[in-house]
Amino acid sequence: MSAEARLSLRRPRPAAGVSLNLTSMIDVTFLLLVYFMTVTQFRTGEEVYRLDLPERAEGRDQPSDPFQLDDEPLRIEVAGMGGADAGVRIRIDGPWPQPTGTAGLHDFLRSRRIGAPGSIGLFAADHPIIVHPTGTTAWQHALEAFDAAARAGYSNITLQPPS
Amino acid sequence: MSGRLRRWGAPGVHANLTPMIDVTFLLIIFFVLVSQIVEVEHVDLRLPTLIEPATAAPEDEQRLVINIVPGPAGRAAEYRMGTRAFSADAAGRAALRSALAEALAGNPVLRVNLRADRETRYEGVYPAIEALTQAARDAAAVRGQPVTPRLNLVVVTESRL
Repeated sequence: MSAEARLSLRRPRPAAGVSLNLTSMIDVTFLLLVYFMTVTQFRTGEEVYRLDLPERAEGRDQPSDPFQLDDEPLRIEVAGMGGADAGVRIRIDGPWPQPTGTAGLHDFLRSRRIGAPGSIGLFAADHPIIVHPTGTTAWQHALEAFDAAARAGYSNITLQPPS
Repeated sequence: MSGRLRRWGAPGVHANLTPMIDVTFLLIIFFVLVSQIVEVEHVDLRLPTLIEPATAAPEDEQRLVINIVPGPAGRAAEYRMGTRAFSADAAGRAALRSALAEALAGNPVLRVNLRADRETRYEGVYPAIEALTQAARDAAAVRGQPVTPRLNLVVVTESRL
């Protein structure tokens, strides 16, 4: 027997026990982490408007004072001139200056909301606003008009059936 | 002597593949399930894009998703709710109303997310809103108490930056 062989015989036999291989687990954990990060990026873009259905809106608008008069709603007509990238005509029902687009509509509504900075104060934040798109208006334009009112600080906005 | 050496074996690196295979199969099952759910709820649409809108993040509550599949020339081709498809005619709208009423009878405060393509005409989108309104009335008649679903209009938000 050589000296080398004798040395290897004297080496203690490893004790039998439970060993946990963590490498593969860590690999998969990182894969999962990458997956969730990617999915989160995809989903951040989508947000929602909470729209009250007519029944809910009617219930909320019941005046507590029986002698209080209902506010005359402000009606906004939206007429698209083609697809989502085409122009849009906006008309506010009543003796108001007519806006040239959704930005103008937002400025008009904001300038007349009671409590808005620099406002001349005419409509309360819960004044009923009816957005009334024509049937051929692109959904993009209908929502732009809705958004103009929401950004101006109004909370009682409804969509009317198409004309 | 040489026999003993052979029985012990030479020291080496051994990869324990069992947990890796277990987790890989779990991952496959997870991805298959998730991809099916996402596909069913989210039809590929070009949603309306608004710059810094006054929207809110969607809540993680129980909700239904109605997708309005676009057709030619801005028309609505069909309405999809989960795996169910409803045609964009009077019969399809009536079936959509019934399906929504059934869901609302089970959950009167259900959230309904409405996803429509930005090019779809309003006359194709509003019937889905109307169907939900009528379904709420139907469900209220069945339950004998008010049913107040919430409608969420889904958009894509963009920052000015």
